[in-house]
Amino acid sequence: MSAQRTALETPYPSSPRPYRPGLAERLYLPLFSGLLVTLRHFLKNVFRGTTYTIQYPEERRDYSHRFRGHHILTSRPDGSVRCVACFLCAQACPAECIHIEAGEHPDVNVEKYPLVYEIDMLRCVFCGYCVDACPEEAIIMSNNYDMAYFTREQSVVGKADLMKPFTFDENLLGYRPRYPEEDEKRARMRRQAFSLVEAARQAKEREELAAARTAGGALQ
Amino acid sequence: MNIIGESWVTTKFENLEDWAQRNSFWPFPFGTACCAIEFMSTLSSHYDVARFGSEVVRFSPRQSDVLLVAGTINDKMAPVLKKIYDQMADPKWVISMGACACSGGFYRAYHVMQGIDEVIPVDVYVPGCPPTPEGLIYGILQLKEKVARDRKKLRARAKSIAAEGEPREVSDRADAGSATA
Amino acid sequence: MPTLAPPPPETPEAPAAAATDGLAAVRARFPAESITPQQGLDQPTWIVEREILADLARQLRDDPATKFDLLLDVAGVDFPDREPRFDAVYHLCSLSRGARLRLKVPLAEDQPLPSLIPVWKAANWFERELYDMFGLQVSGHPNLRRLLCHEGFQGHALRKDYDPARRWILTEDKIYQPKFDLPQTADDLFERMIVNIGPSHPAMHGTFRLMAVLDGETIVASDVEIGYLHRCFEKMAETHNWQQVIPYTDRLNYCSSFINNVGYCRTVEKLLQVEVPPRAVWARTILSEFSRIMDHCVCNGSTLVDSGGLTNFWYMFQPREEIYGLLESCCGARLTVSYGRIGGLAQDLPPDFMERSRRLLEIIPPFIDDVEKLVDKNRIWIDRSVGVAAIAGDEAVNWGWTGPCLRASGVPYDVRRAHPYDLYDTVDWEVPVLYGGDVYDRYRIRMLEIRQSLSIIRQLLDRGMPEGPYITDDPHVALPPKEACYNQMEAMIYHFKLIMDGIQVPEGETYSMVEGANGELGFYAISDGSGRPYRLKCRPPCFPIFSTFSRLIDGGSVSDAIVSLGGLNIIAGELER
Repeated sequence: MSAQRTALETPYPSSPRPYRPGLAERLYLPLFSGLLVTLRHFLKNVFRGTTYTIQYPEERRDYSHRFRGHHILTSRPDGSVRCVACFLCAQACPAECIHIEAGEHPDVNVEKYPLVYEIDMLRCVFCGYCVDACPEEAIIMSNNYDMAYFTREQSVVGKADLMKPFTFDENLLGYRPRYPEEDEKRARMRRQAFSLVEAARQAKEREELAAARTAGGALQ
Repeated sequence: MNIIGESWVTTKFENLEDWAQRNSFWPFPFGTACCAIEFMSTLSSHYDVARFGSEVVRFSPRQSDVLLVAGTINDKMAPVLKKIYDQMADPKWVISMGACACSGGFYRAYHVMQGIDEVIPVDVYVPGCPPTPEGLIYGILQLKEKVARDRKKLRARAKSIAAEGEPREVSDRADAGSATA
Repeated sequence: MPTLAPPPPETPEAPAAAATDGLAAVRARFPAESITPQQGLDQPTWIVEREILADLARQLRDDPATKFDLLLDVAGVDFPDREPRFDAVYHLCSLSRGARLRLKVPLAEDQPLPSLIPVWKAANWFERELYDMFGLQVSGHPNLRRLLCHEGFQGHALRKDYDPARRWILTEDKIYQPKFDLPQTADDLFERMIVNIGPSHPAMHGTFRLMAVLDGETIVASDVEIGYLHRCFEKMAETHNWQQVIPYTDRLNYCSSFINNVGYCRTVEKLLQVEVPPRAVWARTILSEFSRIMDHCVCNGSTLVDSGGLTNFWYMFQPREEIYGLLESCCGARLTVSYGRIGGLAQDLPPDFMERSRRLLEIIPPFIDDVEKLVDKNRIWIDRSVGVAAIAGDEAVNWGWTGPCLRASGVPYDVRRAHPYDLYDTVDWEVPVLYGGDVYDRYRIRMLEIRQSLSIIRQLLDRGMPEGPYITDDPHVALPPKEACYNQMEAMIYHFKLIMDGIQVPEGETYSMVEGANGELGFYAISDGSGRPYRLKCRPPCFPIFSTFSRLIDGGSVSDAIVSLGGLNIIAGELER
């Protein structure tokens, strides 16, 4: 059983050299150490109660804030849907499971809103691309994985059901752009590393400098 | 089973039978892809679907009553799936686990069946890609409730088959021929 | 549409270089116009005429200066606007020299390719796939029929004029019935039986169909049929943009999905020439190693349960659950993570990543120790697995094997060592190698690799998490951060263009590989400058390994076949894409 740093030597082995068991192994003796392992686990489970089983549905596993579960359409303070029917989520979805029909919003700053917003839950692969694509934080995902349907028609979830929050507790939400404990640090890091306006300005400066140099060089 | 006719004893016995049946689903894991791995997780000690009666998974259609289709079923596999479903004895139920089995998922492609309800009737659809083991257990619990609700209908159907050789009424299931791609 | 680059003019230095360069020496033996090197690509590439292909292949394999003993991949490409229409692209590798070569053979529709089975046995299934997907004829192939699509399928699916959603129904009468060419005796009618094992079978490994001729318990001859999970990954890649392919790659080798993400993202990053920030590289290495541990756990657990050791299945699945907790805290999903993005990662690492990983390093080894104590020196397991499905190193290389199965046959080839990427050449680790080539050694080598992976992770964690961004800041490649998107107009525009049009990858082609849990996972990507891949071929590591299956089990018993299937770690999602 070698694990050395071997270079690839050719010719390659042309016949297999199988493992040769020792005398103790041939006499079935190591079986007893195996039995001790299972006995140890058995005694631990019975007397110390250390089992790994999660007693669902009474107990639930502690999934993180980023869990990709059932979608939620967020709402504005006045209760209307935040989505502006830009179709970016429908375009980003690899399964093409989002169906939107846009309508005109009376407020000219908002312009559009979805008349119909349906997600076919049986097509959805829960990849989170819709959340990544949304520029308004209008669609996020929750921590909810309890979904089962009896018919195909039931599985097409409409705007009303998507907006119904199954919880008001921020801690029970899932995959979304901002998380409570990360806001400060993330925002700071990204401001430093990703300032696009600053980067564009610096790139323009560099270009002008390079152009000035070559113009100066050409003159000579 | 009509020796002594309908009476309080036989109805209580039937209740007991139905209770035992819905608390001991023996799944046939028709697992093809990633959902099969999540099904294996459900079987293993962290989630332990044996707590719900599925202590044994029978890889034989003759010995199981729930066909748990986990994973993508494509056109090459469709006759196999149909044959396995036909070989199962009544009463049988079908749980379609995962986006691919329910509707083809994001494989709108030339070789993938857009949902197993093209060939077999499905009782419970569990969405997810793959569904978490808790989601699958939720689906099994929903099936349990459905079987409890429908048990009178099932009994009537079984009686009519025994009496007349064919079912008198159509059972309450999502039939084949649903929405296509 | 990618065009053929014009060949370079002959320079006076070339004849002198020919004496030292093995490739040039082989090339010199053929007429000059039949081999045209294509410049400017990531690997040496030759455009070769099909008449000399068989001869050239044999010389490339046998000549001691080139020694291309491993046929990695054969891909077909369709250029409907070009004459000749098809390209058959062969990727070759010389394990001992570490060299790679790509051969492209342009073909018209009715021209047959010569079969390369006499040179590399791995070519068998690759050529059948060429026929299935493109309709290319291969002369001299013993069994040229469809491999992945079903027998009732009409048309050739990866041609550009094939509608991606056009399906065909398979009726019972079209299902393939095997014909075996065996000497018949009068007793055979009573003694021999053809039995189907699968496609629905009790073994825990994928769906496939094994048609075995049984004489009692002994398998006299067998044939394997696959395609029961063919999910048209390559066609889906052509109909979706570069970013949307990532969830599809997850489902290739679903036991270790993050490694597929990394492999694919590295291919596109190579085409884009974009640099991945150090934090993302560090996280990718660590999470790839965790995924490798997960995959080996499921492989060994399933192998042992298939031979009756159920306890090990429970013990091996618990580390998986723990690693799921880590992956889920990073990206929100347990199994199909989609955590990689082109240029880095999808989201930043969670604040407790280091603590979780360190805890995992303490939780996982006891389970591995337990399984080793139960099984390693257990004579029942030794009797069932030592000497079963044994294959020697040289034959394995000829069959196209890579990965743990090859390392168990005595050839220590590991992509992480031979062509280091990410942080693998900065940590101290060993490539385990064993010489038995049987099921026992394949099981043992996976256990050794789990230990090596744990050691790599420990060293990287001790080094500390690099600060900085987790994805490239090139706005043409990565979505801008949400804060910028909400507040700045330029960011909004980049965001919109990336979602609507996709990443505009410049024209070109590349082959890039990572060490998947099963072996060399390669992606050959051709871009035509639009937002969608023109052709994306995935080189699945278990594809050539499974093509050897018939040879491995012939002469053994049925129970040996089940156990040897487990040892090979056949993941149907990857095998059939």
